[in-house]
Amino acid sequence: MRSGGRLWPVHLVLAVGAAAMVMPFFWQVLTSLKTFTEATRTPPVWIPSFEWANFAKVLDETPFLQQLGNTVVMTTGRTLAQLLFCSLAAYAFARLRFPGRDVIFVALLSVLMVPGQLFLIPQYQIIQGLGWLNTLPGLIAPGMFSAFGTFMMRQFFMTLPAEVEEAARLDGAHPLRIFWSVMLPLARPGLLALGVLTVLWSWNDLMWPLIVNTDPESMPLSAGLSALQGEHMTDYPVLMAGSLMASAPIIVLFIIMQKQLIQGIAFTGSK
Amino acid sequence: MTGKIRALVVAGTLVAGLAGCSSSDGDGSGGKVTLTYAYWDQENQGQAMTKIVQEFTKSHPNIEVKLQFTPNKEYWTKLQTAAAGGTAPDVFWMNGPRIGLYASQGALMPLSDKIAADKVDLGKYPKSLVDLYTLDGKQYGIPKDFDTIGLWYNKALFDAAKVKYPDASWTWDDVRAAAKKLTDPAKGVHGIGAMPWSQELYYNTIFQAGGYVISDDKKKSGYDDPATIEGLKFWKDLLDQKLSPTVQQMTDNDPIEMFKSGKLAMWYDGSYDASQYFKTEGLKAGVAPLPAGPKGKATVIHGLANVVYAKTKHPKEAWEFVKFLGSEQANRIQAESGAVIPAYEGLQESWVKSMPGLDLQAFIDQLPDARPYPVSKNTAAWARLETDAITKAFTDGQDVEATAKQLATAMNAALSQEK
Repeated sequence: MRSGGRLWPVHLVLAVGAAAMVMPFFWQVLTSLKTFTEATRTPPVWIPSFEWANFAKVLDETPFLQQLGNTVVMTTGRTLAQLLFCSLAAYAFARLRFPGRDVIFVALLSVLMVPGQLFLIPQYQIIQGLGWLNTLPGLIAPGMFSAFGTFMMRQFFMTLPAEVEEAARLDGAHPLRIFWSVMLPLARPGLLALGVLTVLWSWNDLMWPLIVNTDPESMPLSAGLSALQGEHMTDYPVLMAGSLMASAPIIVLFIIMQKQLIQGIAFTGSK
Repeated sequence: MTGKIRALVVAGTLVAGLAGCSSSDGDGSGGKVTLTYAYWDQENQGQAMTKIVQEFTKSHPNIEVKLQFTPNKEYWTKLQTAAAGGTAPDVFWMNGPRIGLYASQGALMPLSDKIAADKVDLGKYPKSLVDLYTLDGKQYGIPKDFDTIGLWYNKALFDAAKVKYPDASWTWDDVRAAAKKLTDPAKGVHGIGAMPWSQELYYNTIFQAGGYVISDDKKKSGYDDPATIEGLKFWKDLLDQKLSPTVQQMTDNDPIEMFKSGKLAMWYDGSYDASQYFKTEGLKAGVAPLPAGPKGKATVIHGLANVVYAKTKHPKEAWEFVKFLGSEQANRIQAESGAVIPAYEGLQESWVKSMPGLDLQAFIDQLPDARPYPVSKNTAAWARLETDAITKAFTDGQDVEATAKQLATAMNAALSQEK
């Protein structure tokens, strides 16, 4: 009981912190069930009048299911590709010796310093040149590789014991074979962390899909939901209902993958 | 090497093995032409846009129009990106603050010759709007809609304080007197909201005081003019006398929501917010023309225009479409939707009637006093400075005159960069 007594101030602080974090989500749920007038009242109304029709309106006003499908395809494509390409590159940077390796690696890292907006026009022109504007490949392609993912996986490979690799090499394994059968399975925690981070980033990505795709049918949810926002007026309850439906899958994923996500963020020191 | 080939080469080095993919322009089949029409308000105007396109296709079966929606915030980024790639939409919405930049960089097709050839009567649209889209003597856009500013008031609060509703005879003094009577600190009600917003608030009072924001030749800022400063002081006095919530309070709580919830008795706002006041249950709102200042009446007029992309592959069809967008028929569809006041003469009536009980006629009656929204070739360069300076000036303890004069110096420097 003594330790429990000493812990209560800590628990109190944590409970307040948790409430502050959960509050926006709770408010989102409440807003999604309000009428337009209730949602814009000052002082705020707490008890909604349970307008379930807001959810139906989202399905009426946007091709929600089609866009959900696009988001899933886009996110899956980008994530699988990043896991493969980033870990391949990362393994080379971490373990293979070749001339200019460190120079190339520093050059790659410098990409992390460049703000994403600068890539917008060149990437757009490349996708345009390929004739992929307004298509799913156009959405996926620029997100298939990332300097950040490569950096993260390289750091991870560096921590793995060199002896395992040496043993495999003595047994006559080819570098690609070592990578695939020995190192990659060992890097599972790193891959999971990168995977979760990529899924989160891709699910929420708004700017690129809006720039490269124009038809509602080819847009992912993030871009599609923005159609519910008007220039001077927005029906907030409907927008919140749509956002809630769009974020539900990712919240479920977070709950399942919590441990890996926290590990990943702790490991890289960023998110 | 053309841009397309260069892009392919770059792509080829990145994505080895995909060089075989070629891009196709997707036309050349059967004489049917596809145009893209970009806009930024789906929530309120999407239905009207769809209907207009349907009507257009009925009379022009060989032209297909694809609607391209992008939310306002990302619209300009997307447009710039696409224009850099040479693939901007054929026809798109344009606003006053951006027209100078797009027209002077050659992104828009001049329409003057086509207007003359097809005898389109620009007299059907408010003159200040037509002028807004004229640059160096060339017409770049056909007005789509317009908005003016009115004095919105909460009838219930006026009744409770036994104050007469505002009408066309009101002056600044009436506003001050009414604000005093309507302010009730115990109930958290303020007489008026003095938010540092340009189009809705201080541009109007600057004009009513006889001041100006930018000189007619677009070379000089008006913020060191005593009349301009008087127009700013009108709001600052209301703030100092606590007849308005502070700027900080209105940043935390959107003044639009405060007006809807009965916390502001009077509020200067545009015709474009009418539909949300109309939709708010329990709000009994009315509108009056803006009260006259020392130099008489004035309201800012702004409106969008439809413009044609300079590099469109189908200039003839794009012009046909823009002409239709400016027609009485297309404007009537806009009017009935209630989202905006159509630019075409004589159609404002159906917009006024679309929201009964709000006395929207006040917005139309002010047309003779309308003053064009101030712009230059690169409006964005000084608009940012303006917002920051006026927000600072309206904050407690700041001197309006000194801040306005500093702004004038900074704005003159920005204007001297324009060619």
